Amino acid sequence: MGKHLMKLAYKILAYFIAVEVAVQASMVVLGDAGLFKYIEQGGVLDKAAAESGAIQFPEFFAFIVHGINGMMVIPAVALILLIVSFFTKIPRAVGAAGLVLGLVVLQVALGLLGHSIPALGALHGVNALLLFSAAVYAARRGRAAVVSTPAQPVRV
Amino acid sequence: MNATRRRGARIRLALAGIATLAIIGPLLWLWQSSLMPGTYSVMDMGYADHGGAQAMHGSGHSGHLAAGPGGPSAPTRSLNEFIADPDRKADVDVTLVARKQRFKLATGRSVDGYTLNGTSPGPVINATAGQLVQVRLVNESVPDGITLHWHGVDVPNSVDGVAGVTQDAVTVGGSHVYRFVADQAGTFWYHSHQVSHEQVQRGLLGALVVAPAQAHAGTTDVVALLHLYDGARTVNGREGDVRVDASPGSRVRVRVINTENGQTSVWAGAPFRLLAVDGTDLNDPGPVRGTAVPLTAGGRADLEVTMPEDGSPVRVHIGGPTGLVLGSRSHDAPPVPRPTTNLDLLGYGTPAPLGFDPDQPDRRFTYEIGRRPGFLDGMPGIWWTVNGHMFPDVPMFVVAEGDVVRMRISNQSGETHPMHLHGHHAVVLSRNGVPATGSPWWVDSLEVPDGDSFEIAFLADNPGIWMDHCHNLPHAAEGLVAHLMYEGVTTPFTVGGPNHNKPE
Repeated sequence: MGKHLMKLAYKILAYFIAVEVAVQASMVVLGDAGLFKYIEQGGVLDKAAAESGAIQFPEFFAFIVHGINGMMVIPAVALILLIVSFFTKIPRAVGAAGLVLGLVVLQVALGLLGHSIPALGALHGVNALLLFSAAVYAARRGRAAVVSTPAQPVRV
Repeated sequence: MNATRRRGARIRLALAGIATLAIIGPLLWLWQSSLMPGTYSVMDMGYADHGGAQAMHGSGHSGHLAAGPGGPSAPTRSLNEFIADPDRKADVDVTLVARKQRFKLATGRSVDGYTLNGTSPGPVINATAGQLVQVRLVNESVPDGITLHWHGVDVPNSVDGVAGVTQDAVTVGGSHVYRFVADQAGTFWYHSHQVSHEQVQRGLLGALVVAPAQAHAGTTDVVALLHLYDGARTVNGREGDVRVDASPGSRVRVRVINTENGQTSVWAGAPFRLLAVDGTDLNDPGPVRGTAVPLTAGGRADLEVTMPEDGSPVRVHIGGPTGLVLGSRSHDAPPVPRPTTNLDLLGYGTPAPLGFDPDQPDRRFTYEIGRRPGFLDGMPGIWWTVNGHMFPDVPMFVVAEGDVVRMRISNQSGETHPMHLHGHHAVVLSRNGVPATGSPWWVDSLEVPDGDSFEIAFLADNPGIWMDHCHNLPHAAEGLVAHLMYEGVTTPFTVGGPNHNKPE
């Protein structure tokens, strides 16, 4: 019973990370689009305005979501995924969860370092695709285990 | 067979449990050890950094840090002793009443914030150099309590207005008197230093202008205080252009104050001179055109525009399309695009004596700003560090009165930081190893961009306990705060406590 719950939790958490990566991609482009529309319409954004704590253009919230998701929610969920992976008997679950967590750490680092070296921001975009793939790979580990179980009695 | 399987399962479960503990245990420990006590003295915070001067001054002076206030090793003075002459009559006497209220900007926009005497920004306090300024602050209805900090004025420490360091926050119904001699002519501002990241943003601030003892005749003097209310960009509390009357050929001194958390820039549609930075006149500033002046968060820049003889108006931009329009017959001046070049103060004006020799420092400090993951008072995040340490384990820069102090401020944190030292003005010696060649560039608020490093120097001539923090005020609340402390000075105030002192 507990085992099945853990397997389900593992799958849900891994898919959740994949969905979160998609949300991140969507939010950052939404924010950029809003910013450029704001500039297009004559808006000016200097550091004083950006740091004023108020929303200068409606899509600004997307950057806030991107920041909270990327620095808090996704790392926390990736850590929980790793812990859950210890309690499942899904083959290579720990490895997959470790890979996801590693890519999350790399992703946060690339995102922050991109503020200093914009070229690293480009890698942030590519690493997002790797992280998405790793999360889906992890989520599908459980399915492989379920498929292989009924085959066993036949072989014995 | 079954038993073996069950034992294997049990071992697997135990291993999983151990692995979980191996992850969660250290995290819990880090979380727990980051929790701040409800009440603490900033003197007990972090570790003492003597700037390499222990040998010179003896270990006896430093003993009081560990011994706490009133320690036996050195004669100590409470910072309450550092006051203006109590027998002297005030030349400028102002009462400011703080309220939490909804108020209207000139354009009718309604703002939910704080006012001083019913307005935000509060009234401009005008003094003449050498006058004794006395301000009585009354808290009518600000629930968190308030203080007033005199940003850029090197006041006696007891009236620096930092809740939990130099005073208790003034609670509702209470009042507090600030007395100081405004001995330096220049542009300054005042703001609350209690829950400052919230109270400043929502309006507890105003301008302080100290005129020189001998006024410049024929110059129009105008304050341009930048503040954003709920995202609305205002100058002197007005959205849109502020119009100033100035006759052709006359000179206008525009005192720009950046009360925001981020840098802005100032440029004009006519040549101008940059007369002063952070309340200190520059030496021999020449005219510039097609150049923008970057203005640090918390910093001030005084521009002098000479009005064209043909009577055409001049627009002074502050960060965006709006600002001030100086003119006589017409105030219809088209916007000017922001120049692509910035005025570099490292080489502006001509050198002048500093009053001390920065090449013979008594103390040398490093203030290196970084960033790393961790817990700040139990909150996980990626937080600022000072010299690799996270708040509250930050350095306490210890000096003795009369010391010449050099400090290297560098930033590898990925974001720019406007660094503000209370109670002193520091001179910029070099940036990224390139020495300053222009006028002495005295600052109280210095923008330190990501990847840059500055060498600054100052004379420790104002004993007390002084904050040295980032004036992007949310960053200060996120732990980018250190203190400068004079040997033998103690504070009776604590952060937290019954008044809920919370300086950041």
